[in-house]
Amino acid sequence: MSSTLKGITLKGSAELVAEFFSFGINSILYQRGIYPPETFTRVTHYDMSLQLTTDPKLKNYLTNVVSQLKEWLFECTVQKLVLVITCLETNEVLERWQFDIECDKSAKESSAPREKSIKTIQDEIRSVIRQITATVTFLPLLEVPCAFDLLVYTDKDLVVPEKWEESGPQIINQSEEVRLRSFTTSIHKVNSMVAYKRTDSV
Amino acid sequence: MDLEDDTTVLTTLKSFNSFISRSDQPQRPSDQSTGTGHLQSQYKRSMELLEAADRVKSKNRYLQLDQEKKQMELSHKRARFELEKAASESARGLAHEVDRNQELLQRIKKLEERETEAAKNLAEQVEANRTLRKNMGGLNKKLEERDSALNTANQNISSLKDEIRELKQKIQSKDSAISAQTLENQELQEQLDLQRRKYQEVSQLCQSLQSMQSSCSEHVIKIKELETRLALQEQDIAIVKTVKSEVAKVPDLEKELKRLRDDNAFLRENRENCSLLKEEVEGLRKKLERMEKTKEELVNMELEKEKLQGWENLGQYTGLNIRKPEDLSREVIQIQQREIALKEQNYTLNSRVRSVERSQSELRTEVSQQRSKTLEEQKKREAQDALVRRLQKRVLLLTKERDGMRAILESYDSELAPTEYSPQLSKRLREAEDILQKTQNHNAEMEVCAQAHFIFCVSQVELEIEALKKQQASAADSSSLATKEEVSLLRQKIEDLEAERQRLEEQNNVLEMRLERHNLQGDFDPLKTRVLHLKMNPTSVAKQERQQEVDALREEVTNLRELMRSLQDGGGLVSSQDDSSLHRSSLDLRKQMESSELRNQRLKEVFQKKIQEFRTVCYVLTGYQMDITTENQYRLTSVYAEHMDDSLLFKKGSNGSMQLMETEFSKTLGEMVALHLHHQKSIPAFLSAVTLDLFSRQTTI
Repeated sequence: MSSTLKGITLKGSAELVAEFFSFGINSILYQRGIYPPETFTRVTHYDMSLQLTTDPKLKNYLTNVVSQLKEWLFECTVQKLVLVITCLETNEVLERWQFDIECDKSAKESSAPREKSIKTIQDEIRSVIRQITATVTFLPLLEVPCAFDLLVYTDKDLVVPEKWEESGPQIINQSEEVRLRSFTTSIHKVNSMVAYKRTDSV
Repeated sequence: MDLEDDTTVLTTLKSFNSFISRSDQPQRPSDQSTGTGHLQSQYKRSMELLEAADRVKSKNRYLQLDQEKKQMELSHKRARFELEKAASESARGLAHEVDRNQELLQRIKKLEERETEAAKNLAEQVEANRTLRKNMGGLNKKLEERDSALNTANQNISSLKDEIRELKQKIQSKDSAISAQTLENQELQEQLDLQRRKYQEVSQLCQSLQSMQSSCSEHVIKIKELETRLALQEQDIAIVKTVKSEVAKVPDLEKELKRLRDDNAFLRENRENCSLLKEEVEGLRKKLERMEKTKEELVNMELEKEKLQGWENLGQYTGLNIRKPEDLSREVIQIQQREIALKEQNYTLNSRVRSVERSQSELRTEVSQQRSKTLEEQKKREAQDALVRRLQKRVLLLTKERDGMRAILESYDSELAPTEYSPQLSKRLREAEDILQKTQNHNAEMEVCAQAHFIFCVSQVELEIEALKKQQASAADSSSLATKEEVSLLRQKIEDLEAERQRLEEQNNVLEMRLERHNLQGDFDPLKTRVLHLKMNPTSVAKQERQQEVDALREEVTNLRELMRSLQDGGGLVSSQDDSSLHRSSLDLRKQMESSELRNQRLKEVFQKKIQEFRTVCYVLTGYQMDITTENQYRLTSVYAEHMDDSLLFKKGSNGSMQLMETEFSKTLGEMVALHLHHQKSIPAFLSAVTLDLFSRQTTI
């Protein structure tokens, strides 16, 4: 980890961003009630208490996605990560949490580490996660049974790994969008936003 | 013997020598006196003596030698003897030594054998030693271990002994403590007794106190009530006081009221006046405003008047046809336009000047280039002139040569007869002359060409320079009409382009907004991006599960419907040909039911049999048939009953005791009832008495 070294390298930045995604996705799943709250356990990270799932299948799925994402972040070929929440009965997309990733391609493996303290980055991440928790107040309730999916927007010329396949963008019909905070590690910049289906049109 | 021989020899020698010397001494004095005769005789004598001496000597010597020889031989014999002795002795010694040697050799062999044995023994011993040493080592280690164990054991023992001592001490201390505790206990018990007594007294006191307290609390409650009442009364008093004070204020209030009413009426009148006044004031204000406005207008009008006068004066000053400011503005506009036009002209002229200057500079560079070229041409020409001169000189030389050659030839011709050489030579001459002439002509032509070319080049350059000069001169005279048109065209273009630019900017903004919106919604460019997700993702898994659930539910529903239909139609028979599990389960259940029913029936039969058996046995053994008529009522009919309805009725009471009920038969048994039931309080005795009685009646009858 780059926590003991000065400055941020490309590898360290990729790890930080992947870690943020891992915790962020868990938080969203807990807050939106996709999985029952008793399957989550409390952990402390970024100086705040977060919820992590204990369901083994879900854990396995998340580690697969996050590890692949870490590779792509290192290669700077990933553009967005989207968490899509669909209603099981009607197969409609109800919510869409989108994280845009802007990678500074000039920071390749051999270049010198950038000067940005881990603490500032962690503070930024903390404020993003807090904001995600706060958005639950204005998002419409999910009363129907839902399932989630993780989509990754990558460059077109990327080689598709074995277990992955192409999918549609799963865009919400008649959505409201809210832009949330962003954070940057000076190599990767992550913008977050949430889109949800308008309740009067449901 | 030798010595004796020696001494004889020596004595003879000595005697001889003495003889000789005696003979010599008398001879000497005689030598001088006598003459040679003596001498010869002496000499002969001496010679004879000498020879005799020599013979004696030799004999002596011979004797000596013989003696020596004998001695030698003796000695030799002795030596030999001794030698033989020695030899024999040595031989003996040798044999002895040989024997010894052999003995020693044998000994040596024995010793060697012993040595080898000893060596083997040694080796064995060494090995045994080693093993013993090892054993020793092991034993030592064991010993050490045992020692250490022993030590540890000893230490443990010592420690345990210490502990035991300590424990004993502890026990003793604890015993002492226990004794002390028991003493304390006794004391405490005594104290306890005292305390209990005190407690009893105190409890009594407490009770009295409690009663007192209850009475006190009642009193306290009463006091509180009284206090509340007091407070209420005080409040009432206060209220009364305020009311009184207020009441006292009433007449004042009435007076005030009257006053106020008068004031009110007065004020109302005044209000109307006020409103009227206000209207007047407003009217006046408006007038004021209008007046002020008119004043301002007046002032403005005066200003305008002045202006107009100024304008009129202007018209007189400028001399132009100006009556209104519109004319002035028109004039001004015209002047401005003229100014603008002139400025445009100026700009265009400046631009033209600049362009002309640029062209001029370019032309100058060209001129300089051309000049350099002319210089070069001149140089070339000079060089060619030099060449020409050289060639002319050569020509001169050649002509001279030719003259010389001609002269020579003529001389040759004159000398020689007209032979066959001359025509050839003359031919050759002529040819050479022709060639010369040709070359000369060629030279001349070349010169002419070069000159002409040079002249042509120079003339061209001069023409160009003149043309450039003409151009420079004419550049300043160009007209400005074309430029004006161009400028206006350009202006229009600029305006159009600006308008388009603004339009495009707005479009751009709108498109950017849309793009942003789309980006927020999650749109992507299919040429540059690709959307990926894992094949085994929770949504697909959930959908599959849901689908499976739905299918399973549908299947269940269809099966249940069929079951329902089959149940409604067939009743209990199962004749469906479906392989549904429900039919099987229903079959199983039915089978179970039937089996349980069978079991029940069998049990019932068995129970009935057993009951019947038991009842018959009871009847046979006790002599009474017991029937249960109603709840808790038992009817006993005896075997020996005279009539069929002779029966005894017993009822089971609430407490479990049996009581005899009145029947006709029991009335006849009043005595037995009294005796067995009332006195003896034994139902079996009564029953057995009844049986005996009936039996006796039966048998007798």
